[in-house]
Amino acid sequence: MTREVFIAHVEREQEALRGFLLALCCGKKDDADDLAQDALVKAYLSCVGYQDKGKFRSWLFKIAYNTFLNHKASLRCTESIDEARTLVSSTAADSSFEHQDLYLALRTLPPKERSAITLFYLNGYNIKEIATITETSEDAVKKQLSRGRDKLKEELKNEKLKS
Amino acid sequence: MMKDKALEELFLAQKPHFSDNAEFMASLTKRLDAVEFIKQHQEAAIRRYKMLMVTAFVVGVISGAVAIGYVLSTPADVPLFTFHVQTGILLRLAEYSRIIAATGLSLLMTLGVISIISNVQDIRRMRNRIYAIN
Repeated sequence: MTREVFIAHVEREQEALRGFLLALCCGKKDDADDLAQDALVKAYLSCVGYQDKGKFRSWLFKIAYNTFLNHKASLRCTESIDEARTLVSSTAADSSFEHQDLYLALRTLPPKERSAITLFYLNGYNIKEIATITETSEDAVKKQLSRGRDKLKEELKNEKLKS
Repeated sequence: MMKDKALEELFLAQKPHFSDNAEFMASLTKRLDAVEFIKQHQEAAIRRYKMLMVTAFVVGVISGAVAIGYVLSTPADVPLFTFHVQTGILLRLAEYSRIIAATGLSLLMTLGVISIISNVQDIRRMRNRIYAIN
């Protein structure tokens, strides 16, 4: 794949990728964009071996997912929910509080459940595709989705009660 | 697995829209340029290193050949080294002393040339780093 073709693909897919990472980063736009850039550079470096089979987005999401997990592992600390509550940023996407409840709720989920939920509900992937992207079994994805959905609903209910 | 309608609607309603796509792409292009630059630099360094290795190998082989030629040109009836002992294996070593000496010599020369080149490279790299800091 040439650089021009790669950039053309990225221009088409970047919004979906950034949206996915923004949800994984619980609304932290700067972090999400940094991860997106890292993931795209990794994709560019390995795009020589990529054979276009019409699944560029899934391939990109797989790289982004792994980049996110590596980033999480490198932080080696869990951010508290209280910290999330005081989340205020100068950037447009996260300072507009319309997404705040969802991001706060997503923050309570472990990274793998968060990824599965985001891919399923935000990006519209089915279980088989999520299993391919996250390199897990379909059963594991089903469990992550079921657990994540319950936790998310509970958390959203709590957020509503508080507000 | 069935989708939870309420959650799906919530996610779809809150699908983010980015107004800075052009800036994002510009930043990505810059990063890709940097990556290209580093890649080209690394490829050039590897090419240079390979050339140096081939040079060292050729110099080593030539030096070895010269050494073998020299050893073979000396009187053949006199062994290069003897052990003054009449043991089977030592006698055999003394018999092939010329070949052994020539092989050892060429090996040493090859290693020596490689080590000299790598040291020169290290020194150059260090010098460049110092100039870069200054």
